[in-house]
Amino acid sequence: MGYLTDSLRALRVTLANMLRPAATVEFPDVIRPRAERYRSSFALLHDADGDEACIGCLQCERICPSQVISIKFGGKRESPITGKKRGYADDFVLDMSACIFCELCVQVCPTDAIVMTREPEVPTYAREDLVLTMAKLYANEKSKARAWGDATKLMGMQEPPRPPKPAPAAAPPAAPAAPAPPAPVPPGAPGEGAGG
Amino acid sequence: MSSFVHGGLYGAVIVTVLMTVTAFSLWFERKLAARMQTRLGPTMVGPSGLLQPIADVLKLLQKEDIIPAKADSALFNLAPPVAVVCAIAVAAAVPFSPTVVAADLDVGVVYVLALGALTVLPVFTAGWASNNKLALLGGMRAVAQSISYGVPLLLAAMVPVILAGSLRIGTIVRVQSEHHWFVVWPFFLGLPAAVIFLLAMLAESNRIPFDIPEAESELVAGVTTEYTGMKFALFYMAEYVHTLVASAVAAALFLGGWDGGPLGPGLHWMVAKTLLLFAAVYWIRWSLLRFRSDQLMRLCWRTLVPASVVLVGATGAWVVFVG
Amino acid sequence: MRTVQVSRRVDPHLPIDRYDPEAELMLLHFGPQHPSTHGVFRMDLTLDGEIIVKAVPHVGFLHRAVEKLCESLAYVQITPIVDKNDYVAPMTNEQALNMVFEKALNLEVPRRARWMRTLFAELQRIASHLLWLGTFALDLGGALGGGSTVFIHCFRERELILDLFEEVSGARFHYNTHTIGGNRHDLPAGWSAKVHAAMDIIDRRIGEYERMTLENRIFLARTRGVGVLDAELALELGVTGPILRACGVDHDLRRDAPFHAYDEVAVKVVTGTGGDCLARAQVRLGEVRESVRLVREMVDNVPAGPINSGKPIKVPVQTKIPPGQVYVAIETPRGELGSYLISDGSHLPYRLKLRPPSLHALSALPYILPGATVSDAVAILGSLDPIMGEVDR
Repeated sequence: MGYLTDSLRALRVTLANMLRPAATVEFPDVIRPRAERYRSSFALLHDADGDEACIGCLQCERICPSQVISIKFGGKRESPITGKKRGYADDFVLDMSACIFCELCVQVCPTDAIVMTREPEVPTYAREDLVLTMAKLYANEKSKARAWGDATKLMGMQEPPRPPKPAPAAAPPAAPAAPAPPAPVPPGAPGEGAGG
Repeated sequence: MSSFVHGGLYGAVIVTVLMTVTAFSLWFERKLAARMQTRLGPTMVGPSGLLQPIADVLKLLQKEDIIPAKADSALFNLAPPVAVVCAIAVAAAVPFSPTVVAADLDVGVVYVLALGALTVLPVFTAGWASNNKLALLGGMRAVAQSISYGVPLLLAAMVPVILAGSLRIGTIVRVQSEHHWFVVWPFFLGLPAAVIFLLAMLAESNRIPFDIPEAESELVAGVTTEYTGMKFALFYMAEYVHTLVASAVAAALFLGGWDGGPLGPGLHWMVAKTLLLFAAVYWIRWSLLRFRSDQLMRLCWRTLVPASVVLVGATGAWVVFVG
Repeated sequence: MRTVQVSRRVDPHLPIDRYDPEAELMLLHFGPQHPSTHGVFRMDLTLDGEIIVKAVPHVGFLHRAVEKLCESLAYVQITPIVDKNDYVAPMTNEQALNMVFEKALNLEVPRRARWMRTLFAELQRIASHLLWLGTFALDLGGALGGGSTVFIHCFRERELILDLFEEVSGARFHYNTHTIGGNRHDLPAGWSAKVHAAMDIIDRRIGEYERMTLENRIFLARTRGVGVLDAELALELGVTGPILRACGVDHDLRRDAPFHAYDEVAVKVVTGTGGDCLARAQVRLGEVRESVRLVREMVDNVPAGPINSGKPIKVPVQTKIPPGQVYVAIETPRGELGSYLISDGSHLPYRLKLRPPSLHALSALPYILPGATVSDAVAILGSLDPIMGEVDR
């Protein structure tokens, strides 16, 4: 008899679930909105002057644990926009089929050149489409929504606070005797108070 | 017309309708299961996924037909069609309406139960002929389970037989339409008998919670491990047909068949009751976990068989003393 | 060297002809392709009818030479690789690794980062146990049946937690959100409200799962008295985590050797009695409730401050760990995960060894399977919650 009553309770649970709305998101007709920081694909950016931000320093190639980035350093030459001498990357290839989406390449870029995009990737039919060439990476800059994190922001989140400067002997009356302020956060980053 | 022609004609119609309903019961089950899991189920093929069974059949048809090297190929190939035949043949004796019945045999109940029990043969044959230890284990469990649960199935089916006084299913339904459905009156006999019949039917058709022979979490696919393509589809279909027809039998024996009470008799009542029981079977299937083999047997021999023996005795006493 | 005496209750190395020669024994290969072996895992079962007489587990199908690979990776590059060991609870993997690096460098992790790590570990515990419950029900009830209903329901709730992790780190499954000295991602604004919403839903639904499993007679019949592991054998084999606690041993690293911020919160350790599958299930569901309570308590009180005490890693060769050996253990949802580092002073580790809890859990199989039926073997294997990624590395 106990079997019957327990079974009826289980049946009741299933019945209750039948009346709930479906939790399915019908991909690819409906795309679930991803979080701001979602890491999906990559984009190479141009800097504020309109020049290519990538200086070919090879830091992202060195830090990638899966070694998916291949860069051909183009040597230092004059920038056509600012006139200053700076490094360029002649070729930049990122093989998405081996990428583990760890975001380390984004973190180490000194010029915020490589960022991740946050649109979910649509599957492709050919393996060649998984290899992101330089042209595709620069095209992603405009065509895909960017994830929140770039090198400055990520480093900013992790930077420990600088110790407070020792107060001078005759402290000005308006100087607050507060302890070290929290880590300097670049403007626009989500707040990091107690619990957020 | 002669009973041969009558049987042939109605039989052909019933089989056609049965196979069509089976195909769509596939869709129905998947939608039901999906809703119970807050999912959507098939949506892509056809409006609301209605053409999904056709897509499934087409997919299974184009699969490679693999026969294992050391398998007994004659038995291996014979098992799926025999399973389907046994399942469909039961529908011959079930009256779907006062006039629609292929062959209303005098010994309808015995015929139905005998053919239902016969379905264990192709299952065991498949397990043996596959030359696969997992399939063999599944086959052995299926034999033990089917034989054991045949006893309470038969005994529970005796209750409406005794109450109606005939083995002919048409008569049983007619008696229920004149008096009361057996689950309504005498409910203390009809309802427990219906529950035991339902449980035994679940066990005979290897449905959860009694589906240990095809327990695909333990035995990959149990008896049907080595089957591919259309042969697997036949086993699959045999399962569905068996469940559907057994629900029809239960509806006829306990729920009054084509009787609609004060709203008059009709084919639609039988169909509705069958589908109701069918949905209940699948509701149970998608909500409960499965029993272990020995617990299953213990349930049968220690609970269901004594209960059904007592029920049969009580029914006999009822008929003799109360009428 | 002290030798450990292993109990001689059942001898798994007994040659097969020493068993009853009258019995006709059948050898069944359970896996590696099998729906219930929780990953690629093979057991050779010797059966007498349906009763198992001898069981020999074979591991190594998922061996990817992770430890050797780590010898050629700089310390900052190891975290995303080691995510893939215990792929069901990656947060605790990362934490164990980074803790061993921090201990070797004598880095103190700031308080906010420790609280965040505790939160992530507890959320990961809930997610991991939900996945375990789903797959356990699948083993017991079948992919075409009641088991899959519990499975889908558990995954539906697990998605809530993965959404939370997506908000913080940007990834749903392999986060790389920890680094040497702290965390890489800070909590975004509005995160704690989402956590509370998720915890409310999960709290309500645990009752549903229990009604379909723990309080269901069929589940109880399948798990009560099945796969009894007694405490003495468990301790000898090095079994830890919920399995050990289900045997009655009150041992939890969160309370006994606190790490992260566990010394600032009181963890109620859930133990069971009997050491059978049912006790393990009860302990795990009890742990889920306890983790929900901890998360609710902690998420609003995360102290302000920096999340990293070391400078953010800019160059792979930047971190050099002085020569020496360090061992650190952390309580994952599966038990005690240990990381052992031998460094020779360069920017690459000399040897990195991981002590996976699931391997020790699986080593109990030859002792507890004999006497059980094949169906029980599936239930026992499921209740031990092995993750082959961390067993084989």
